[in-house]
Amino acid sequence: MVEPAIEVSDLAFSYGTTRAVDGVSFSAEPGEIIGLLGPNGAGKSTTIKMLTGQLPPDRGSIRILGKNMPADREAIQSRMGVCFEEKNLYGAMSGVENLRFFGKLFGIKDLDTDHLLERVGLPDRGGDRVSTYSKGMRQRLMMARVLLNKPDVLFLDEPTDGLDPVSSRAVRALISQEAERGATVVLTTHDMMEADVLSNRVAFINEGKILALDTPESFKLKYGRRSVRIRSRNGEHVDETIVELDDKDASERIREAVAAADLLTIHTEEATLEDVFVEFAGRGLQ
Amino acid sequence: MSGRAAIIGSIVAKDLREFTRDRFYVVITVVGLAFYILIFWVLPDTVDETIELGIVQTGMGEFFEQTAEQGLTITPFETEEQLRNAIVEGEDRISVGLSFPDRFVEQVASGMPTTVTVYVTGDVPPEIRNTLSAIVTELGFLASGQAPLVTQPAEAEVVLGVDRAGDQISLRERMRPLFAFFVLVIEMMALATLVASEIQTRTVTAVLATPARVSDFLAAKGIAGTLLAFAQAVLLMAAIQSFGNRPGTLLLALLLGSVMVTGLGLIAGSAGRDFLSIVFWSMLFLIPLMIPAIATMFPGTAAAWVKAIPSWPLVDIIVQATTFDAAFGELSGQFAALAGWCVVAFVGGWWVLKRKVVAL
Repeated sequence: MVEPAIEVSDLAFSYGTTRAVDGVSFSAEPGEIIGLLGPNGAGKSTTIKMLTGQLPPDRGSIRILGKNMPADREAIQSRMGVCFEEKNLYGAMSGVENLRFFGKLFGIKDLDTDHLLERVGLPDRGGDRVSTYSKGMRQRLMMARVLLNKPDVLFLDEPTDGLDPVSSRAVRALISQEAERGATVVLTTHDMMEADVLSNRVAFINEGKILALDTPESFKLKYGRRSVRIRSRNGEHVDETIVELDDKDASERIREAVAAADLLTIHTEEATLEDVFVEFAGRGLQ
Repeated sequence: MSGRAAIIGSIVAKDLREFTRDRFYVVITVVGLAFYILIFWVLPDTVDETIELGIVQTGMGEFFEQTAEQGLTITPFETEEQLRNAIVEGEDRISVGLSFPDRFVEQVASGMPTTVTVYVTGDVPPEIRNTLSAIVTELGFLASGQAPLVTQPAEAEVVLGVDRAGDQISLRERMRPLFAFFVLVIEMMALATLVASEIQTRTVTAVLATPARVSDFLAAKGIAGTLLAFAQAVLLMAAIQSFGNRPGTLLLALLLGSVMVTGLGLIAGSAGRDFLSIVFWSMLFLIPLMIPAIATMFPGTAAAWVKAIPSWPLVDIIVQATTFDAAFGELSGQFAALAGWCVVAFVGGWWVLKRKVVAL
């Protein structure tokens, strides 16, 4: 039996009297992408901070790659990559200098910065100061920094926040490649579509607790509406028909609609992850 | 190099690289150093102790011959009006004058009352005015051919340390501790800016997500700050020829001073959010710490409380080693005090920054 890459049990942390994380438990297998979804202040970032050794938990246990956090912090961190929500790079240094500096902190002597910059789509800007980079370029460099020690576990906090669609797609491709390589990824995001596309499983967090943890598909099936919306042209009007898939004559009605000459669109009416979250938390994501 | 040392070395190298790319601090450091060195060499290296005295009553000239050799230059004037004008205009650097009445000698010799007018400008210190009064009295006795009413006691003068009579401490030498202090303070602000930047941009969080420990980060900041301050203080002191016979003593003092301002820089950097707040926090330390350096510009004026200021031992060591050629053994008390303040400042800075970093 393969040991989970991440195993979290009954994790809790308070800022003064405010309980930020309250009994969070989950595990992740090697190569799995876990999405943590929740509104601002839900406890996602605090959970990540404890997992990455930035905060000592008030209660609970964290095992990452068979070692205990924070007791074995350095051993875990040497095999870990973290992408922060803030673009915390050294602006006065070039992209290459940033990567080399962090490479030295990991004890890497022969860091191939060209390869890393190539992977994140910055092959020609490595020599430029980071202060001259756009937001998207900084985010790509952040991803290069995450990858420089070939981590077995990646913690990514809003990795595509504020990026244009091209940059977002590039970052998502990198995350998928890392998971295919066998790395475990913990991803926090506000972007439901991103969580849906990338995550093997998603956890809905609110008020410091995991409300539900399952695959996106299961959530959508469980909390969505099993129906098909069909739109067809009728003279100068557009007719819309909703067919409930659980109805006995559902197949017949769909066949009739498809056979119609002026068919415009057919859409399934499955739930989005945001719908699921509203179901759990009683409010939309902010 | 061990893992820890390699990590600390990498952070120090990164900090120094960032410093060299901060245009403001590079310019202010280079211009500051050049300016202090220039000012030092432009300032006079001797003190003119001669008093330029104007007198009215040419017949008194012979009485001043002996006194003139002791630091008085006499300029005779025909009338009291000419003397007043000369003093007011600063003509021939004359700032004091004596106007003897006609028949002064005869009147004094015959016991008749007479008045000698002493003219001084407003900036003449009281001791010079008193000296002039004493000169007038002495002249009275001299003119009358009588001895003073009391027998003058014999004097036995014992000079402790280097006798600087006739070789007074020049303004240039008095400014030396102040220049050194300015350099240290500028580097304190540079370090504070580096620290504040790490906190505000959260780069420290990224550093601490690697195998680097908080103690590595703090040690690196301490080393980088000390290196910056020490290197520039040594450069300045070398350029103004301060090492003389006591290079080891001065180097040790500058090193301890650099550690002290580094500790304060860590505090200012932890408290500061931007350039203005860093300047505010730095000024909070700078103003009281500068008092001893200013006090040394006026020898003998340092009050007891000034000696309780943490920068006093540093300033005193610089003065004693460079001006009075004091050896390490003679300055052991000042070194002990300076080392104590170093520990207080550095441990305080370490503690404050650690709290700030851990709380991010």
